[in-house]
Amino acid sequence: MLKNNDLYSFYAIFKRDLVNIVLNPVLLISNTLFPFVLVMLLSYLTSGSYGSGGVTAYDYYAVTILIYAVLNTAMTASNSFMEKSLKTSNLRIMYAPIKLSHIYMAKIVATFIFTSVCFLGYIIFFNLVFGVNFGGENLIYVILIVLFMNLLSSVTGVFFCCVFKSEELTNKIISVVINVFAILGSLFFRLDGLGPAAERISFISPAKWAAEAIFRIIYDSDFSLFIPGILMLLMASVALLIGCKITFKVEDYVY
Amino acid sequence: MKPLIQVKDLGKSFNGKKVLKNVSFDVYEGEILCLLGPNGAGKSTTINAMSTTLNYEAGEILYDGQLVNQQSNFFKRNLGLVPQDLAIYEDITAEKNVTFFASIYGLRGKELKEKVDQALDFVGLMDRKKNKPKNFSGGMKRRLNIACALAHNPKVMILDEPTVGIDPQSRNHILASIKRLSSMGITIIYTTHYMEEVEEISTRIIIMDHGEIIASGTKDKLKEMLQDEKIYYIDYEGDYLMEKDEFYRIEGIKEVAVNCKRMQISTLKGVENLDRIIALIMNKGLKIYNLSSSSASLEAVFLKLTGRSLRN
Repeated sequence: MLKNNDLYSFYAIFKRDLVNIVLNPVLLISNTLFPFVLVMLLSYLTSGSYGSGGVTAYDYYAVTILIYAVLNTAMTASNSFMEKSLKTSNLRIMYAPIKLSHIYMAKIVATFIFTSVCFLGYIIFFNLVFGVNFGGENLIYVILIVLFMNLLSSVTGVFFCCVFKSEELTNKIISVVINVFAILGSLFFRLDGLGPAAERISFISPAKWAAEAIFRIIYDSDFSLFIPGILMLLMASVALLIGCKITFKVEDYVY
Repeated sequence: MKPLIQVKDLGKSFNGKKVLKNVSFDVYEGEILCLLGPNGAGKSTTINAMSTTLNYEAGEILYDGQLVNQQSNFFKRNLGLVPQDLAIYEDITAEKNVTFFASIYGLRGKELKEKVDQALDFVGLMDRKKNKPKNFSGGMKRRLNIACALAHNPKVMILDEPTVGIDPQSRNHILASIKRLSSMGITIIYTTHYMEEVEEISTRIIIMDHGEIIASGTKDKLKEMLQDEKIYYIDYEGDYLMEKDEFYRIEGIKEVAVNCKRMQISTLKGVENLDRIIALIMNKGLKIYNLSSSSASLEAVFLKLTGRSLRN
């Protein structure tokens, strides 16, 4: 049971972690400017492939790059945990009379809140400025998928840090995994043209499922993937949180 | 007198190598206990175990009669730990650093502000509290590192080599601060490999090497071990690598350590052998540019106990 002091110390650590993310220019740019630029660049380059009516390049890439940005949240989480300039300062927190779970939970929550705000801003911007279709009255379902996926990404980044104890190694592994998922999930270019085998392989990527679920909601008002998707994301997040609890040991960081 | 902290038979291994071997000692309220030893002696491992951040295979640590690993939050609330590496946030002000670390100990509101100001004032950073540490000198960062461990009013402070790599002025400030803390009743555990610091501040000393305690006591008690000996410190230039055995042929010589163009030679008092020592060095083509002697120093005690220099 959390006592008042526990909540207060958790809030203090969370606030610190949030500020650390905001003050990190790389994290700030990669979560704000970078996806915007990527969408505009890819949409500009491929605009000829899309018809003048119906779905535009912006409609496609604003959704797929949003998913890509959500996957990249894992990198933000690992940086907030293990980034070189923060590591020793974060260690001092371990000497305080707090629940150890506060340390990784605060980083997950800070990452989740910061990136979620960025993604909501992204949706609003592309909807208002470029008229991107995010589902109209079904927007809330799209946002829920994005948020649950973002939660999983946040937990994944911290979980990898707990397992590998190193930001560098964690980032290398996460970076490879994210980009493989992104390519397989057709986030940058469609794999349809590579044949049915490529199409089948693409479904091993969670990015493909997320994109499929979101596009079905936006264009077909089809919610068949919504509940199972949310449940899977939630269960995976809980499983990795338990993994964090098991693998996070203060000793690994002080020695 | 009842000890405030009791460390009993502490044992710890890493990758099959024993890094702490039956380490036992008591810490008494208000004292400045210095853990002295070279890098790798087990000082930091000992204090990490004491701070409950490191598990150990054998032994127990008690604070105020209670096992610290069973009452870790009770102990942590009374403990201020200054880690060897700077553990401060460079991008926020000194005041915000101390405020943050004090707040995770549950301080808030007016009390938090007062304690933060007191801690910053104590380390002499009050006038720089609105500045960010990234603009501080190494010494100022070290002082802020201490303030962050001080604001929650700990009863025990553990300082792990807090003066590494700083200017003499900051070092003196830190040592003076530690003596002031002690006079305020705070129990200090201080690790270092600087002999001069131990000479200056300690009320009691524990000498560690290779994961075990090799001697303990007050400065005077330790120096009594050397009442029949004196030590020569010889700084030299030249490429010839002196062998210790070459010195042991000279009458009276007990221990020799050669380290970075400096020799420390322990010899019996009353034996006139300095001319032979100098001749031996000169004959090897080495040039002596400084020679001093000390009849009883902690450096000499360490040399006697381990057969090597503290900074080897």
